[in-house]
Amino acid sequence: MSVVAPPAPDDLLSVLRGTPALRPAVDRGLAGGLRAWLEDGIFERLGTPSDVRLTSRSIAGEPVRAGATALLRGALLRQLVRLKVASAPVRDPFDDASCALSASGRDDDLVATLVDLDPDEHARLAAEVEAHAAVLDEALPAVPARWSPRCGMRQAIPLAGGGVELRGVVDVALGAPGSSRACVCLLEVTTSTLEDRHDAVLSYLALLETLRSGESPLRVAALSTADGSFRVHDVTPELLGDAVERVLCALDTAPAT
Amino acid sequence: MTTTRRLRNPAPSTVSAILRSAAPRAEPLGRRLRQLLESRLTEVLPTLHGVRHRIDGFTVERDGPGFTTPFAWNARAARRAIGSAAARSVTAGTESDAMTAARAEIDRLCDRALRGLVRRGSLGAWLSGEPEAARALCAVEAATWASGLLHLVEHDGGGVSLGVADAWFDVPGIGLTLHGRRDAVAQSTSQSGGERLGVLRLRDGIPGARATDGLVVDALVDALSAPQRPLPARVIGAWPDAGMCLVVEVDDEAMRHAARVVVACAQRLAEHTEAIAIQPVAA
Repeated sequence: MSVVAPPAPDDLLSVLRGTPALRPAVDRGLAGGLRAWLEDGIFERLGTPSDVRLTSRSIAGEPVRAGATALLRGALLRQLVRLKVASAPVRDPFDDASCALSASGRDDDLVATLVDLDPDEHARLAAEVEAHAAVLDEALPAVPARWSPRCGMRQAIPLAGGGVELRGVVDVALGAPGSSRACVCLLEVTTSTLEDRHDAVLSYLALLETLRSGESPLRVAALSTADGSFRVHDVTPELLGDAVERVLCALDTAPAT
Repeated sequence: MTTTRRLRNPAPSTVSAILRSAAPRAEPLGRRLRQLLESRLTEVLPTLHGVRHRIDGFTVERDGPGFTTPFAWNARAARRAIGSAAARSVTAGTESDAMTAARAEIDRLCDRALRGLVRRGSLGAWLSGEPEAARALCAVEAATWASGLLHLVEHDGGGVSLGVADAWFDVPGIGLTLHGRRDAVAQSTSQSGGERLGVLRLRDGIPGARATDGLVVDALVDALSAPQRPLPARVIGAWPDAGMCLVVEVDDEAMRHAARVVVACAQRLAEHTEAIAIQPVAA
């Protein structure tokens, strides 16, 4: 099942988590098969590669370097998502997000860019972040702490003896792995409107999570804070197979790092 | 040659079973190796009096100073300290989930700071001076870290302690501290407590080429920090980002290798004296 939904308040999480009794059983053999498929494909294409690294951006065909303001906007929104997951009250979205970004210990370059913004750019970015925050607030309901939320969850899968590395970062992961039924859900939050490339990223992140944890996630979702729309996909063997094909296609054009 | 096993996506019950599995011989670190290590380190770092240095698994794997900028608290640096306490609270049943436990730990640290019970520069002092947004971010980072640990090890059945204190060893007279990370240890079930059990350490990213060296150094420092305690049976290095674990069996040869690695790292530190600065101890 795949759902493409128009803006709908407080609906995303219930679609994403679904009914617990209807969740599929975990296929623990799937990860090994996908890994073997990838290893064979890499060997056919590249032989014994070294220092090839793929990320969500390379899979989606996005430029490696986006504009500084766009990167900043995305980074600030990610902080707001984290504050939301922590159930922290947000009084001034831009100030609170800036404060969280500065305290994060990551993205030092973006923090420096933020500090160096001229007053016009600063005001424009603050207005943009405020607008996106309002949409986020509407579209993403409070996340219960019992769902074991994790933010900024990193995935790093070495293949071909470490010669190829697949990397991804999941904005929000929900549900604890390890049970007999799939229950981990991944949520990506983007400041752009949803396009097909976001589906590619979702399937890529689902593949990485399957390889990382040995069990495929239940569902993956993307939420746009541009208009509040979201897409939710069940993680099926077909979706994971598509992701493998995309990775292998991306390898044909990936430069060595 | 150290014995190393690589596990992919191990089940929590497997990780716990490996941690709890005792090694046959229970002996502490040999006195001769300890003395040799201390004397070699004193030879290598004789000119650094008045300056404090630290060597840990991270320094060893990087083959030199781990950080080149002075330490400052941030959410990333704080996540392990808060996350460890959160994992402890969850396993003890004090809190129901990692997020609630992380928030409670931050509140506790801030409360201690407000009552003047923490030292300057400590995590509590930093947290208490930060705005609410930064503290909330710390809670999320710590909960994410704690969840990684809680999902990795089976903790309901007992026998494994999560979020334990790290091992430290000050080499006498040369201002060098050895640091061994420990995120989980198996609890001894014998009355004497003299079993050789396992130690687990969590790390970001994927295991590097020198991951085994880092792990044996963690085991060495664990042994140095408690001279009467038997050597750990094995060290498990867990890289949750990659879903991988490395299991290194600890024996005399592994300890000799770790000592050689520490001395080589100290040599490198001495060669780059200008580039190294004391890393304040993170909680």
